[in-house]
Amino acid sequence: MNESGRIRRPLKREKRMNLVGWSMLLPWAFGFLVFTLYPILSSFRYSLSEVILDGAGIRVTFVGLENYRAAFSSAAGFAFLQSVLDFALEVLFKVPIITVFAIIIAVLLNQKIKLRGFFRAIYFLPVIIASGPVINQLASQGAATIPLVEQMGILDFINRTFAPALARPIAGVFDELIVILWFSGVQILLFIAALQKIDRSVYEAAMIDGAGPWESFWKITMPALAMMVRVSVVFTIINLATFSENPAIQHIRSNMFALETGFGFSSAIAWIYFVALALILGIAVGALSAFGRKKART
Amino acid sequence: MKKTKSRFQATKINPKRFHPAQFRYLAVLLPIAAFMILPLIFIFNHAFKPFEELFAYPPRFFVNRPTLSNFTNLFAVTGSSGIPMSRYLFNSIVVTILVIAVSVLISTMAGYALSKLHFKGKKAINEINTIALMFVGVAVTIPRYLVIEKLGLIDNFLIHVLPYLAVPVGLFLVKQFIDQIPGELIDAARVDGANDWQIYQKIVVPLVKPAIATIMILSFQSVWNSADTSATYINADVKKTFAFYMGTLTTNTSAVESQGMAAAASLIMFIPNLVIFIIMQSKVMDTMAHSGIK
Repeated sequence: MNESGRIRRPLKREKRMNLVGWSMLLPWAFGFLVFTLYPILSSFRYSLSEVILDGAGIRVTFVGLENYRAAFSSAAGFAFLQSVLDFALEVLFKVPIITVFAIIIAVLLNQKIKLRGFFRAIYFLPVIIASGPVINQLASQGAATIPLVEQMGILDFINRTFAPALARPIAGVFDELIVILWFSGVQILLFIAALQKIDRSVYEAAMIDGAGPWESFWKITMPALAMMVRVSVVFTIINLATFSENPAIQHIRSNMFALETGFGFSSAIAWIYFVALALILGIAVGALSAFGRKKART
Repeated sequence: MKKTKSRFQATKINPKRFHPAQFRYLAVLLPIAAFMILPLIFIFNHAFKPFEELFAYPPRFFVNRPTLSNFTNLFAVTGSSGIPMSRYLFNSIVVTILVIAVSVLISTMAGYALSKLHFKGKKAINEINTIALMFVGVAVTIPRYLVIEKLGLIDNFLIHVLPYLAVPVGLFLVKQFIDQIPGELIDAARVDGANDWQIYQKIVVPLVKPAIATIMILSFQSVWNSADTSATYINADVKKTFAFYMGTLTTNTSAVESQGMAAAASLIMFIPNLVIFIIMQSKVMDTMAHSGIK
């Protein structure tokens, strides 16, 4: 702060802004460029080539769109495309459920209730379960997502305690529930952060004007969450897509060192997956903003 | 509801007295919360299961006759290998601390620049980061290996740290939180004579502590549990990490014994996650409430 003593010619405002901005960004940009962006771009080059890895190193021969053609015509390609299709369906079902669930839990966790801190901790817990050794352990037993419930004996427990007619739907809910719960930790956090920004007095004013909790929720809470819904949907899709037990990713991984396909093919299907994911995200975000506009007009 | 609202509490989030109106919330929260802890209970139970319970069919959730034999087996194997376990543990701790400290600094700085500063190329960088977010990590394993080889970093201890410093997800989350800080707050500080570094230090960082705690937990996860770096980029055993070591222990022994040892090893690996989580989570959830962000 003792700059006042020195006399120096101030830089032009715009130039100074560029300088400050980039200097704060630089360390991140450098790491990103070297370890993420450049590898991504070179994987695009490999997707257009035949890549042979052996003791001597790597040999790359340009083959044009051959790998992409193979992806749409070979058995390995079909298996992969099927898994992408499955993933798209999965997104269609899970993302709305996860988002709605996260909003409900966030609203509940934002009420004044006993043990609120404890509950918040519990609902954030999946963050360490879904990505840690726990999931590896469970995955190694052949139970990555849904069969897991069976493995842990929960289904058994349900079947034993409830009448058969009741047990089936409950088991179904539990089957899905575990997936929903495990992927909603960060989303709940995002929504709580947005909820805490709402001024409590707005609710009081609405209440005085005769709005019930239902109206308050749709007219005050939801508009405040709109931005976060978008962020949370994007995050959820990406989280589901890059989850290491995702079948599409398993395909990319297993083809990497496979003899008949190889890394070129694996890169090609990775790029197809990337484009598919971009499409899914585009549609989701587009649908959200179309919905938002419609709401704004009414 | 009306009654609880009128009682003002600035610092404590748990209401002092229990109010019947809370029942409807607890009725929803409690059962789901109980379900939420199940995997946690499972991993603790699983590690103490004796041999025949591990393979029991149908699988059991709770342990019947707890035993320490999984752990004693695990430590028996530890003793027989050349390098002491503490060495791997030390490596892991150093790597984890370095990654968390540096990555938090780098991504909050970048997040502040991308969210609140105006400069050329900002929009493009934002888009590129969002796009990179979508790219599957596995697909870049080989290109990344080639880059690291070209830089001469194979078998260098730093390679545990460097690739984890600039992660797209971390920046994405931090930026979302920094976006929530009103521009007026920053303008006011600027009018008062604060420079960008001071604004970053005194305003942005304190206000996004929840986000920082979140990415700390997330990056702890990815670093502490990662055996890939050791397996791919490191040849010398002394430079490998604890996660890798735990993995090798369980694969090198007979299949029957290794099941129990794997359960014990994953419990040992999991406990630091839980400890970090318990320490950080209170910061994650509560600091947003009265921080002046409105």
